[in-house]
Amino acid sequence: MSPGLFIQLIVNALTIGSIYILMVLGLDIILRGTKILNFAHGQLYMLGAYVLLLFFQTLNLNFALALILSGATLAVVGALSYLGVFAVLSRRFTVSTTFSYRLLLSAMASVGLMMILQQGTLLCFGTQERGILSPFPQIIDVFGVRISLTRVVIIFLSILICIGLFLLMYKTRFGKIMRAVSYDPEAVTLQGINTFWIFVSCFALGSALAGLAGGIIAPLFSVTPAMGQNIIFMSFLVLLVGGIGSYRGTIAGGLLVGLLLSFGFQFMGGIAELFVFILVIVILVFKPGGLLGEANE
Amino acid sequence: MKPTSSSTVSRNSRLKLGAIIVTLAVLIILPLCIDSDYIKHLLIMTCIGAILGMTFSMLYSSGLITLGAAAFYAVGAYTSTMLVTSLGLSFWAALPVTIVISAVLSLGFGAIFVRNAGVAFVIITLIFVQVIVIAAGQIEFLGGWGGIMNIPRPGSLGPVEFVSKRECYYLILMILLLIIIIYNALYSSRIGRAWRAIKLSPNLAGTLGINAYRYRLLAFVIGSTTAALAGSFYAHYFQNITPGAFAGWLSIYVQLYAVLGGLEFYILGPAIGSLIMTFVPEYLRVVKEIEPIITGLLLLVIILFFPGGILGTIKNPPDFSLQRFKSELSKIKIWKMQGGKR
Repeated sequence: MSPGLFIQLIVNALTIGSIYILMVLGLDIILRGTKILNFAHGQLYMLGAYVLLLFFQTLNLNFALALILSGATLAVVGALSYLGVFAVLSRRFTVSTTFSYRLLLSAMASVGLMMILQQGTLLCFGTQERGILSPFPQIIDVFGVRISLTRVVIIFLSILICIGLFLLMYKTRFGKIMRAVSYDPEAVTLQGINTFWIFVSCFALGSALAGLAGGIIAPLFSVTPAMGQNIIFMSFLVLLVGGIGSYRGTIAGGLLVGLLLSFGFQFMGGIAELFVFILVIVILVFKPGGLLGEANE
Repeated sequence: MKPTSSSTVSRNSRLKLGAIIVTLAVLIILPLCIDSDYIKHLLIMTCIGAILGMTFSMLYSSGLITLGAAAFYAVGAYTSTMLVTSLGLSFWAALPVTIVISAVLSLGFGAIFVRNAGVAFVIITLIFVQVIVIAAGQIEFLGGWGGIMNIPRPGSLGPVEFVSKRECYYLILMILLLIIIIYNALYSSRIGRAWRAIKLSPNLAGTLGINAYRYRLLAFVIGSTTAALAGSFYAHYFQNITPGAFAGWLSIYVQLYAVLGGLEFYILGPAIGSLIMTFVPEYLRVVKEIEPIITGLLLLVIILFFPGGILGTIKNPPDFSLQRFKSELSKIKIWKMQGGKR
């Protein structure tokens, strides 16, 4: 293998990996904060890409501004869907509700949301693929290896968002409350904090992350209504590999799966995906809770 | 609970028996009255859906949520097909072999999967379906993405032929009834009680000497083997299988059956749900563009406002009076002031 190909594959792996990391951080924040396994996450990702398309291509806004707007729009969509669906649902749950019932009903509600969002987008935008002209079309030359600047920008932006999220979660009071809610909402209520709006903001933050992921990837791949369904399985896989409830685990898992997929497709072709799945099952044999997570809820 | 006199008990059980006999009679006579092959096909798919829904309910009764009903459904379909087309066995000879193979496979995979309870189990089973689908698509021996065509119909068992759609319907009906009888026996046995105890609280069940892992594994193996049985029938009835037929959201529909019919009704719930979810979208095909939106909205309405599903709502009808509405509103206000305590 030539060193040029190696570096290109590494860059590809980091690109896919960083998108997975953003998606899974969003899924994880929603899952831990509100105890909802969000099947509509892929559709939120797709919506993020369409919103970017709208702001960047149709309204000719600046790329950074369009990206921030797509994150903000998705945060609103997420908050509204929490208020409209999951808040009504969680009102019925009491302390004696079994965990499996709670998980099942909220997952099914998100499936309903998924169907509506999916078909709604399909009706609004049609089935055809749309490309976004990359705002960074240049190709940079590193030691004789040609790398597209778009990919570098994607990686850079993802790192920036991850750092921002880290600062929010670990350096502010709001982040502290969110982390506390994911451990024990009852105890947080006893401290005089209105947890209802914390749940809403957890869901909004997770949705915003999905929207940002969709917006970031839009210049690289074409925007189609099917993109949400394709990414959701891989996101769940990364969530599982990294371990539920561990940010470091999510990052490690995202990078691992990105590397495996990138090198696998180069050297093994279509069977690479199968190989990754089998590897995950092997990991779960030895570490039931994922790489850095803990087993069992 | 109110003490019930012996006469009401016997009247209730007589009523139940009567309902069962009438339903059975309708199910047996129905295909004789219907000429349309299309309706017969939908009836057969309803029976398959009901079986898959029941396997979901069985795992749910032990507190596990599976999205992997389609996985062993596919395993059963492919195993039986390969046995018949490659080794030249008849459907009836392949059936026990299929059951044994899928039981062994589900024991092996279940031993790994069941160790992860809760959210991780949901995701693993969902991913496992993808593994099976991709494996079937990538391996040339299994027909690749194009699938396998021209699988023979079940054929004759002694003097009885199972070739036409009507005969296939009777076959799947018999399988369904057999499964209902077995499941019913399981639920009312010690095993079923252990499952319900585990669902309520695995730790508490553990203190009573119930090994949650083993009982859950048992549920997984029984459920998966049943799904494989349904899959093997499907392959021979539909006569061609493609990996795409098992992909993605089939398993999600299976849970919908259980939720729609009523989660507390482990046998009747999936049957009713399957009946509705098979026929309603078919007739909504007229408005094909918005069919998923209607299905999604229907699902949300059922989950949000009729949590017991259809059967649960019939059993405990909700109270729609103005009084109740006002008290609900005040409850919401109190709940918001408390900070959305769950």
